[in-house]
Amino acid sequence: MIISILGIWGILLNRRNILIMSMPIESMLLAVNLNFLVFSISLDDMMGQSFASLVPTVAAVESAIGLAIFVITFRVRGTIAVESINCIQG
Amino acid sequence: MDLPGPIHEILVLFLGFVLLLGGLGLVLLTNPIYSAFSLGLVLVCISLFYFLLNSYFVAVAQLLIYVGAINVLIIFAVMFVNGSEWSKDKNYWTIGDGFTSLVCITIVFSRMTTIPDTSWYGILWTTRSNQIVEQGLINNVQ
Repeated sequence: MIISILGIWGILLNRRNILIMSMPIESMLLAVNLNFLVFSISLDDMMGQSFASLVPTVAAVESAIGLAIFVITFRVRGTIAVESINCIQG
Repeated sequence: MDLPGPIHEILVLFLGFVLLLGGLGLVLLTNPIYSAFSLGLVLVCISLFYFLLNSYFVAVAQLLIYVGAINVLIIFAVMFVNGSEWSKDKNYWTIGDGFTSLVCITIVFSRMTTIPDTSWYGILWTTRSNQIVEQGLINNVQ
């Protein structure tokens, strides 16, 4: 879907701020969910709809934990530019 | 929904157009609060798509969970870290940005040309054959 490619493009473009980078990830998950539903409707299979109600759960949990980590990082370091988050490096 | 044919088509096209606009706004807008609201628009649009596809539960669940919880959480986090102050400097497109744009446009066009041309009939037949096997087993048990 075009929305998933827009999400990939959004991640690659908005690299200055890690908080903005989490939003196109949500849109990619959304595009995959839409794909699941459309194929479930057209192929007359119920597995697609039951999976499409589990995917937002995963997305919600992942975005909540990610945002919590970003906010605490900002509080500790005072900046959320991507270049300055290199604790793991080295 | 069981709408008449033309209204269904017009709604799908309109929602797709608004969805594209929201997606472009999500990617290209510099102010993080604007792109967070654009994400909210994208979520509401896809929820309306789900209504059109007769899956009412997923649509309402998406409205409640995505728009009501995740979007609010994102806007809260953006306001917490003073997101709108980070967008004061103009961001110019680098050569890397142009290259990724080219790659992404190539991916879009290749997908748009190959997806209508693949024969989904083969995949459909394998799912149908699973159901036929299940029917056979159920009949044998009974």
